[in-house]
Amino acid sequence: MPVVKVLTEGIGEANLRDIKVYRDRGGYKQLKRAFTEMKPADVQAICDKSGLRGRGGAGFPTGKKWAFLPAGVAPRYLVCNCDEAEPGTFKDRMLLEETPHQIIEGILLGAYAIESHHAFIYIRGEFKRGYEVFMDALAQARKAGFVGKNLFGSGFDLELTVHRGAGAYICGEETALLNSLEGKRGEPRLRPPFPAVQGLYSKPTIVNNVETLAYLIPILERGPEWFAAVGTERSKGYKIISISGHVQKPGNYEVALGTPVRKLIELAGGLRPGRKLMAIQPGGGSSACIFEEHLDMPYDYESLQKAGTMLGSGAIVVMDDTTDFVRAAFNLVRFFAHESCGQCTPCREGGHWLERVLHRFLENRGLKSDIEMLARVSHEITGINLCPLGDSIEPFLASVLKRFPEQFEARVARETVRA
Amino acid sequence: MTDFNALRDQLKPQCEAIIAQYEQPRSALLPLVHLFQAHEGYASADALRAVSEMLDLSLAVVESTVSFYTLFYRKPVGKYMLQVCRGLACTLNGAEDIMAYFREQLGIGHLETTGDGLFSYEEVECLAACDRATCMQVNLNFAYDLTPKMIDDMLTAMRAGKYEITPLPQTEHPPRTWTLRQDLQVSHGDKSAGAQDQSAPNNPGGLDRDGIIMLDRILSDEARFKGRTKERLANVEPAMAEAIEE
Repeated sequence: MPVVKVLTEGIGEANLRDIKVYRDRGGYKQLKRAFTEMKPADVQAICDKSGLRGRGGAGFPTGKKWAFLPAGVAPRYLVCNCDEAEPGTFKDRMLLEETPHQIIEGILLGAYAIESHHAFIYIRGEFKRGYEVFMDALAQARKAGFVGKNLFGSGFDLELTVHRGAGAYICGEETALLNSLEGKRGEPRLRPPFPAVQGLYSKPTIVNNVETLAYLIPILERGPEWFAAVGTERSKGYKIISISGHVQKPGNYEVALGTPVRKLIELAGGLRPGRKLMAIQPGGGSSACIFEEHLDMPYDYESLQKAGTMLGSGAIVVMDDTTDFVRAAFNLVRFFAHESCGQCTPCREGGHWLERVLHRFLENRGLKSDIEMLARVSHEITGINLCPLGDSIEPFLASVLKRFPEQFEARVARETVRA
Repeated sequence: MTDFNALRDQLKPQCEAIIAQYEQPRSALLPLVHLFQAHEGYASADALRAVSEMLDLSLAVVESTVSFYTLFYRKPVGKYMLQVCRGLACTLNGAEDIMAYFREQLGIGHLETTGDGLFSYEEVECLAACDRATCMQVNLNFAYDLTPKMIDDMLTAMRAGKYEITPLPQTEHPPRTWTLRQDLQVSHGDKSAGAQDQSAPNNPGGLDRDGIIMLDRILSDEARFKGRTKERLANVEPAMAEAIEE
């Protein structure tokens, strides 16, 4: 069975929101061990050795990211990114609502590793229940003495502040998140300087995904070798994959990286009876589609990159032969047009124009020349924006335009009436 | 106004605690607006003014920031805020039918509120519950695996004032097919019959009457903040402050 239970251990069986239950299962042991037996640099070294890569979308090696922090500069901040909003992703929400203590422990470990005395968690505004569950868990952890001053007698103070977003996909981008945390509009910043050098309040800041930080606990517990032993050469360890769309058992599945795509779809119950697979979006709304011929490809960062797409946040959306790809493309383009912060002209204008052109296709009023224009415009707005949002419009659109041109051609107006 | 002053005094300790959490007070902007909205149902002009005073920001800055975030309603919304997911995974599982059904039953469209003030309706982006598509939120509480029957029951209970938010058990998924509908596009122009006299909750859409009132407030606010701005400037850019003085 390729499904493993590391972070998902106990979900659906025990009430992990209760600190007692969590501690009975070994929770907060690694935190105590880190604070009493290890130096921050030791935790960093273990993380680096495990090969853990960011689980939020970019897949940047976590240890390397931490190493960008300038030495000896204080204060520095750790921000946990729980602004999950990538279409098709629902792993962070599950972790937040089901095992909040795991997130708290992960954040505290991460903050200790980078010697930050003030950590934040940015929770998506829509996650009202998650926020309430987390606040409750934080109160329990505080009462147990895991958050606050002089933790475990180590002399290390650590405060954790919960910050709620208010409905903006772009705040999942780390610099936009920092602006939002500073009480500003969630507009991404120009980089460099990177947040590790100048982040929150212009101080060195690390932004890590919920899942990334949570994996620190099992890595400390079982050792970096255990984590590095699974996966592929450069994609180590486990990952929670959110599978949805046209499958019979959509849900979160924790697997070793490198599991074949076919296996993942089987895990999710496979397609509905009598349906044929048309396309798979392997890494959230920002990724290009893969198709039937890629089914035996291992699901890891490099293989997907080689296939012209990405692993992203680990969200698989499966589409069968009932799918209208013009409508699917319109859906995602509208999403990005709607969520564009409006700072960069290519993304702000390009997204809306593509949305309008695609809407024309939906009404069977497309022009023959539009098909080529969709490909050209989406390509030209790519790579010239401050953040990756504008670049996220092209992949899906281009991949379905190339694969299913007949669906677009069928929507071209039969006769062009000129006034 | 007196009502609001009472609320502000009541929330003062909470506000101060929130501000104290951050190294810089401005960080408290979103949490404070959340707090007022939780009590008033929307982010009122009074609330924004109060936040601007607490954080020593101009009203324009607060207004500009709040307008960025879709979860801050700058106008009163219905008692039940119905936010249906229009993300890709939900759409693949029939969200367009669900949305059409909602519109039909409510008589209002995207970003509209019913005349009786009971319902506001919005079609929102992916809510991160794709495994339970099609999904929605009622006042930010999830409802999953929507069917027309569930919607009927929900709306009936809401109209009778008996709607309770209960966590739904994980069930098997009702079979659905992708259907083609042409009525998807959000109406930008005319209002639906059920929403004639109501303005959109979080989309100011240019300078309507409320916008002009807000603009008026911002402009008439100048005297209150002029001094402070100058003081602040003197700390950061003394040369520039002197130049302005001259």
